[in-house]
Amino acid sequence: MTDSIRKPRSVGRRAVLASLAAMPAAVINRAEAQQGGGFGTAEKPIQLRMIANSAFSVPWQNVMVPEFNKKFPHIKVQIDGLPYNEQLAKIMLDITGDKPTYDLYAIDDPWVPQVAETKQLLELKKDAKTWTAADYDWDDFNPAPLAASEWKGGQYGVPLRCNMLLRFYNKTHYQKAGLPEPDINQTWREFIAQAPKLVQDVKGTGGVNAWAIATYFTRDSLTPTIWQAILNAHGAELIDAQGKPGFNNPTGVKALQTHIDLLQWAPPGAKAHGFTESLQAFRQGQVANMFQWGSVYKGTAVDPGATTLKPNEVGIMVMPVGSNSPGIMRSGTHRGIWNGCVSRKSPNQQAAWAMLQWLSSKEGEYFHSSVVGAFPARKSTLSRPPAEAWQAPVFKTLQHSYEIAAAGRMWRPRSAKSDQAQTILADETARAFNGDVKVAEALASAASKIERLRL
Amino acid sequence: MTPAALLLFATLAFPVGYTVYISFAEINLGTFTPDEWVGWDNYLTALEDDRFWDSLSVTGIYLVFALPLQMFLGFAIAFLINASWKGRGIVRAAFIIPMVVAPVIAGGIWRMLLDPLWGIANYVIGTVGLGPIDWLGDPYWAMTTVILIDTWRWTPFVTLIASAALLTLPRDVFEAAEIDGANWWTMLWRITLPLLVPMIAATFVVRWLGAVKMFDIALAATHGGPGRATTVVNLFIYEEAFRSLKFAESAAMSLIILVVTMVLTGIFLRGTKMLEERH
Amino acid sequence: MSATTTRSGTHRRRAAILRQFRIWSGVVACVLFLLPIAWMLITSIKQQRDIFTTPPKIIFAPTLDTYVAYLTNNDLPERMLNTLIVAGGAGVISIVAGAMAGYALARVKLRGATTIGVLILLSRGVPPIALAVPMFLVARAMGLLDKHITLILAYCTFLIPYVMWLMRGFFKALPEELEEAAKIDGCTRFGAFFRIIVPISLPGLLSTLIFSIILAWEELLFALVLTNRAASTVPVVISGIAGDTVNGANWGALTAVGTMTVIPVVIFALLVQKWLIQGLADGATKG
Repeated sequence: MTDSIRKPRSVGRRAVLASLAAMPAAVINRAEAQQGGGFGTAEKPIQLRMIANSAFSVPWQNVMVPEFNKKFPHIKVQIDGLPYNEQLAKIMLDITGDKPTYDLYAIDDPWVPQVAETKQLLELKKDAKTWTAADYDWDDFNPAPLAASEWKGGQYGVPLRCNMLLRFYNKTHYQKAGLPEPDINQTWREFIAQAPKLVQDVKGTGGVNAWAIATYFTRDSLTPTIWQAILNAHGAELIDAQGKPGFNNPTGVKALQTHIDLLQWAPPGAKAHGFTESLQAFRQGQVANMFQWGSVYKGTAVDPGATTLKPNEVGIMVMPVGSNSPGIMRSGTHRGIWNGCVSRKSPNQQAAWAMLQWLSSKEGEYFHSSVVGAFPARKSTLSRPPAEAWQAPVFKTLQHSYEIAAAGRMWRPRSAKSDQAQTILADETARAFNGDVKVAEALASAASKIERLRL
Repeated sequence: MTPAALLLFATLAFPVGYTVYISFAEINLGTFTPDEWVGWDNYLTALEDDRFWDSLSVTGIYLVFALPLQMFLGFAIAFLINASWKGRGIVRAAFIIPMVVAPVIAGGIWRMLLDPLWGIANYVIGTVGLGPIDWLGDPYWAMTTVILIDTWRWTPFVTLIASAALLTLPRDVFEAAEIDGANWWTMLWRITLPLLVPMIAATFVVRWLGAVKMFDIALAATHGGPGRATTVVNLFIYEEAFRSLKFAESAAMSLIILVVTMVLTGIFLRGTKMLEERH
Repeated sequence: MSATTTRSGTHRRRAAILRQFRIWSGVVACVLFLLPIAWMLITSIKQQRDIFTTPPKIIFAPTLDTYVAYLTNNDLPERMLNTLIVAGGAGVISIVAGAMAGYALARVKLRGATTIGVLILLSRGVPPIALAVPMFLVARAMGLLDKHITLILAYCTFLIPYVMWLMRGFFKALPEELEEAAKIDGCTRFGAFFRIIVPISLPGLLSTLIFSIILAWEELLFALVLTNRAASTVPVVISGIAGDTVNGANWGALTAVGTMTVIPVVIFALLVQKWLIQGLADGATKG
């Protein structure tokens, strides 16, 4: 996104109105700001450094930090963006040093246990309690995103940027196929029954030019999250509470097989498609459905420079419901939260935590979602009238997906070896997709390798 | 040679030593020091892992096809673009561009061109009645694609060095041969190639050592898939080290690769020496 | 008499045809190799919605937005400068050290020399992935993280063996009489190296230098691990855009940044062209 690196030329009108509404608070803030919010002085400002992901480090630096500095003018924050693939290694290398370069880290959902195990992250609910503002409302967070930074009973971070795996659908394609718009109760069986009809001619050129589904099929660590969502929808867990694989069973086989079967109704070349390719196919109006991270919504439905679709064409909801299985049946989704964490070795832990508190506060979160477009974790932010019209349906779906994720534990393995397990799953999934091994064999092999990890 | 040797020793001694050291240990990720000595366990783990063996054979296939192709194309193109004419300078400069493009971009552009849904490649081969080809989804084509991209990227290196090598050839030898009435084919076989042996060998060894380490193109173009079809050994080690943070195991695997590379390089060097002495 | 004339006439005509053939097929090969680059250029001036269309769009409303955005609202210019410093520094140091080592290897008849030379070469067998973490630990212990010199030294470790081996090949191809003649004229070995050998092998030296600069120019792993911001290079940015976890890879941005990184190296190559083809005795080859 080009806009992700631009400074906002103009803050949305609604956001301005909203900040006007928050005037009384701003007045108090100004008074506080004269004392620098209690941190640093004009002559001796506190310097904080943060590792973030390059997908959002620039808007954080250019938009969020100046806003934060209105309240805390004497805390200087420098945010360095890192590519995703090497970010965990880089965080681990930094945090284990005697004098780490960084005070703050943005840590992805599955990495929290691994980093927390170093014992170098500040525990925020108990250890940092005295530094926490009285009005900082922990209970307002949805449990699912907050749990992303929880490990062994400690709260090692706060959700800063949320993302959930959701279902996008193209309403025009459903109309053309003569199908009713899908609803939230659609089961996997119904989805698959409709799929052949969605492979169709939507452009009137005579041949097939639209397909039913685009999502992750390639060899990628996020590809297993798709069949995991199917598995979870059927009431099973990927890894159970004891750390044992819960997918090496008929439900698991059915889930992975369903994922593989989707290829039949996917565009040509889909076997090599992942995040970017499936997204582009959907934005070009070539597929009726896409299982994808919610964060792409604005670029998919709203931003005319990035998409060919219009907002009223794009539907969003959680993934289909499990069908025909004993036990629980629910919709599917998958969690992906960026968490803000404080280094225990930072000389300015209190200021660092103040910065995170502001970012994740009701005020900061609303500003973040209004101006940068980030997804919030707080119930209050999600239920508030959003600054932008497109956010209304998305926030409704987000709130729904948080509840489902919490109920069905729809996240990657919670363990210090989470990425190891995910790499194994990705490898075996890829082999099953390629027909190198049968689905059941791939899952059995993944299960035995994961068991050996002793999660 | 002394400055080079000292510089390398100073910068490499600790990293290589550390790699050997942790390859026999279980590493503590809190300190990056060994927790516990495990002897040859990491090596055994690597050798028992089917993914490691699969990646070795994938690397072998890639090397066997990519290296000779790049060497042949590189020298052939060098011969072609060395013909003296006005535009020679520009052609030679343009020829290095594929090397300069970052691997992730190169991989992505090729993906764009080859994708069955929006790529231009299948349109082009469709006009002559071929295809459509699933360049990235079919295991054999995926390997072909990786070799194709790698060849596109690295043939220019061989060309760059080869055209310089052709220029340093002594001219009088050719003039003498021409006076003797030798045709260009004889000159190529009897004079040019023998004179080029040291440079062909040097280019080959440098390209070989580079190609053994290739993983960026496979990562960008095919993510190592489909299945494990293009997971070269360095991609596997990279995933183990930087995704799974299994630094000790990946150190052990790296050292296995080092030994294999050393043995094969030794054989190539010996072969080079024999060729050089024969002429 | 007349028979000889005809023969050399045919010979000359054949040579002329061969030359034409070489020129044109060289141009064709070059164009083929540049097609993906052309696609990169085209993509870099497209809006995102025009990039992944079926069929591919050749006609579209061009935009320079991405270029402007990355040159003004991003730290790309600073990173470009860092890349220039690091690649230039590593290239020059390794060409000096590597060429001398290569010369010693090609000419000095010492048993130990060959062994050390081979060892230097074999140091390239270690996968860089294994070296990145220990190099980070060393750099941190010495307080050298996020400094240009650290990256330059790291790159030298992998460039010197290559330079040494390539230059050995170039030097080996030179007739030994050259140095002997120089020695008779009273030159030391060093003198002979700098006054005779270096000028003669300029095409080789420059080609090797270009190769070294390119390798350092696009290196990612060490740049990622050893730098944070002050010395961070362009490949790190590129990798970040490609792995965008929020909006997917923005190929408009990737190709624009890619194009911008290619330009300086191509300009450099064009500038040194004159010396790249001025080889032995100003020689065009008959190869």
